[in-house]
Amino acid sequence: MRKIVLLSVLMIAIAGLILTGCSKVKGQAEAALKAAEKVISEAKPEAEKIAPDQIKALEAALSGAKEKFGKGDYKAALSDAQAIPGKVKEMLASLKAKKDELTKTWTDLDQGLPKMMESIKSRVGILSQSKKLPANLTKEKFEEAKSGLDNALKEWETAKESFKGGKLAEAVAKGNTIKEKAVQVLQLLGMPVPAAAKS
Amino acid sequence: MSEEDVKGKGGSDSWSSEQVHEVKKGDTLWKIAERYYGDGSLYMKIFEANRNILKDPNLIKVGQKLKIP
Repeated sequence: MRKIVLLSVLMIAIAGLILTGCSKVKGQAEAALKAAEKVISEAKPEAEKIAPDQIKALEAALSGAKEKFGKGDYKAALSDAQAIPGKVKEMLASLKAKKDELTKTWTDLDQGLPKMMESIKSRVGILSQSKKLPANLTKEKFEEAKSGLDNALKEWETAKESFKGGKLAEAVAKGNTIKEKAVQVLQLLGMPVPAAAKS
Repeated sequence: MSEEDVKGKGGSDSWSSEQVHEVKKGDTLWKIAERYYGDGSLYMKIFEANRNILKDPNLIKVGQKLKIP
């Protein structure tokens, strides 16, 4: 009987220790999650204009840590959450270089794309007056080229709006898409593709 | 249209998609317009784009490089 009582006391003590340990890790994980959330929200306004993919990846990492916390895996949640501030710091350090790179790309696109589209517009204007299309251009191809030009011109306006709003990454992504479309139109019309648009 | 007829301006202006036609024996602006636009009657478009080197639409010389707008 005495042995049973002693064993029970021991079991209760062990359970208590485990619970205390768990509760401590839970508290640490909670604090780490809060800290991670704070650094992400502070970095987000600038980062989403320049490196939206990176900030999204960090938000996904935070969601993952929260999910683990929700499932009671406090240790994993703590470890994941603690890694986030360091990653945010690394991302912030790379933002300036990324911003410079995007600004250079945008400047190139801003100088080149309107010129390319102007050449296309001029050719489309002349071909629209033609009684017969040249041998290498079918009516369907010409219609495709015209609508490609219209879309590129409209999208260029939205790219410029993105740039004005400081959304550099978005502006450059749109500009690159427009460049690809403009190249397709030039090829449809049998016009030369500028060297700068080939890269 | 052969590859040699389709030349970018190149050089410092790497964004230029200007098309250049080098005049060959037997070429006329009408024929060139027919080739690029499908319609010879649009030859004045080429003449206007090359006023710096052409004085008369009926006078073009072999070897001249004409911009095709």
